Amino acid sequence: MNEDPLIQLSDVSKVYHLESGDFTALDHVCLDIMENEFIAIMGPSGSGKSTLMNQLGILDVPSSGRLYIEGKDVARMSGLERTHMRRDTIGYIFQKFYLIPLLSAYENVEYPLILKYKQRDKSGKAAAVLRSVGFDDALSAHRPSQLSGGQQQRVAIARALVNDPKILLCDEPTGNLDRKTGLQIMEILAGLYKEGKTVILVTHDPKIAEYAHRTIELEDGRVISS
Amino acid sequence: MRDIFFELSVRSVRLNFLRSLLASIGIVIGVVAISSMGMLGANMQLSVKEQLSSSVNTVIITPDVVRTEPGAGGTTTQQQGIDKSELNDIRNAAGLNEVIPIHRTSSQFTVGSTNGRGSIYGFDPNDIPKFLTVEQGDTIRGPSDAIVGASVASNFNLQIGTRIKIGPPNTVDRPTVRVSGILPTRGFTSDGINTDNAIIVSDTWYTDHYGDKDLYDQVNVILQNVDTISTVESAIDTKLNKNRNQVVRISDASSRLTSISQTLGTITSFILAIGGISLVVAAVSIFNVMMMSVNERIQEIGILLSIGTEKGEVRRMFLYEAFILGIIGAIVGGICSLTIGYSVVSAMIGNTAYFFLPDSIIYVPYGMIIGIVVCILSGLYPAWRASNLDPIDALRNE
Repeated sequence: MNEDPLIQLSDVSKVYHLESGDFTALDHVCLDIMENEFIAIMGPSGSGKSTLMNQLGILDVPSSGRLYIEGKDVARMSGLERTHMRRDTIGYIFQKFYLIPLLSAYENVEYPLILKYKQRDKSGKAAAVLRSVGFDDALSAHRPSQLSGGQQQRVAIARALVNDPKILLCDEPTGNLDRKTGLQIMEILAGLYKEGKTVILVTHDPKIAEYAHRTIELEDGRVISS
Repeated sequence: MRDIFFELSVRSVRLNFLRSLLASIGIVIGVVAISSMGMLGANMQLSVKEQLSSSVNTVIITPDVVRTEPGAGGTTTQQQGIDKSELNDIRNAAGLNEVIPIHRTSSQFTVGSTNGRGSIYGFDPNDIPKFLTVEQGDTIRGPSDAIVGASVASNFNLQIGTRIKIGPPNTVDRPTVRVSGILPTRGFTSDGINTDNAIIVSDTWYTDHYGDKDLYDQVNVILQNVDTISTVESAIDTKLNKNRNQVVRISDASSRLTSISQTLGTITSFILAIGGISLVVAAVSIFNVMMMSVNERIQEIGILLSIGTEKGEVRRMFLYEAFILGIIGAIVGGICSLTIGYSVVSAMIGNTAYFFLPDSIIYVPYGMIIGIVVCILSGLYPAWRASNLDPIDALRNE
């Protein structure tokens, strides 16, 4: 296994310039995340969890400090390079699923493949990944609005996995699910970790955090334990 | 299988079908306006050109408006018309081409108890078959025979043999002519002889009653070969308009045709511009619909951007949507243009003979292309805005 960190945050700060004054969401965060770790990020509301996830998902760039993913300095990458890294290296699973409402379950999973290969999936990979997360084939043609929360989250996981990313970012993936379904989703994520994925999970729920092998606690934008 | 972004655009249009339909109706109206107005203008031009080109081989010589000649003792006299020696000069310059001297005036006349007014033309009866075709009856044979134009014949219900008194109604001993022939409708012609509202008599009858023998109001030269038009015109000009003294004016159908075509072209451009205004209104409507589409789909755009969709791909998706609205509007507008345009041309010109000619029908694809281009241009800013949304802010948008 590679000894270099897969993700490295070096003195990363994120400051939002608001009308009421500057707000520091991340305050000099230093963090190394190795390949094939299962990490839970915890902390109270406003502690900076979502901001950290946005940084890790390169939806945003640090105000100061350096963020390296696979050794590449995110701040030095072009917009297109970041987009391609989001597409190829990072799988994002959201609390609210965020499936594309105009596409069917199958098309939602196929979509990242189309982005990457610029053509429709003829290999059957999208269907295979959907099956691997326990999604019923018969529901593939359904639109997200016709699926339950658990089914939508399975589709969202399949979509995040279909391009075989190294990193899975899960922002409260069970937050909108009942207990039983939430645990099923966590079993899937635990299985993915066992397959070699690096899983980073934001949660408020200590029971969910127990699935992780390392917990990072944030408070007021600072890492208080990792 | 279709491009996923095109598929997303199609589904978005379907999802907001009514709104999209209303926006497309704006384009339909714009396309119909541009196409119909263009076809109307083209049909006008084609119709006039056809009428004028029938006498394109004719050179028209008219006296300069008022010609002033120095008289004896320093006084001046005015002479209006082309005299015999000038006619001979024209004949010499024209060579083997036909030269038609024309007398012309305007006069009142009476048919039965009905009074009217029209042009009176005096021609050598031998010249008449060279440029006129009698539809009913015969050409001028006797000294009092006359040929009448189609409008005069129909307005006064003239038959062969009907007698017409020429001159103001209160005049005693008015001369009378007998209708020997009726001409077909000639419309607006470019040989300067507008016969529809005219009575044509022999030159002898004309000069007996109006005088001015050997003084002509117009002389037409009918060319055997239309390619010699500039040579003949130049020869006549050299012979008659000597020493910078403008004696006659020389014109021909081609210059009139050009001038009329230019005028009609200007009119066509003007009415096209009026049609274009409706497309501007449609463009605003499309812009509005596209902005609504972007605003309603902000979160969806956030999802697309956050999972690795390129900005260009997001732009493409919205431009496809604008294109779909445009293509729907253009196709429906194109079909409507054919029916509405046909009705407009039929009502305004009264003749649809030229409607399906390429010069006319080309305005349908023109209108459609302009409609589509307007839609795409209207979608540029909304597409640009969508692609430049911040994915984090967009995802938070509910």
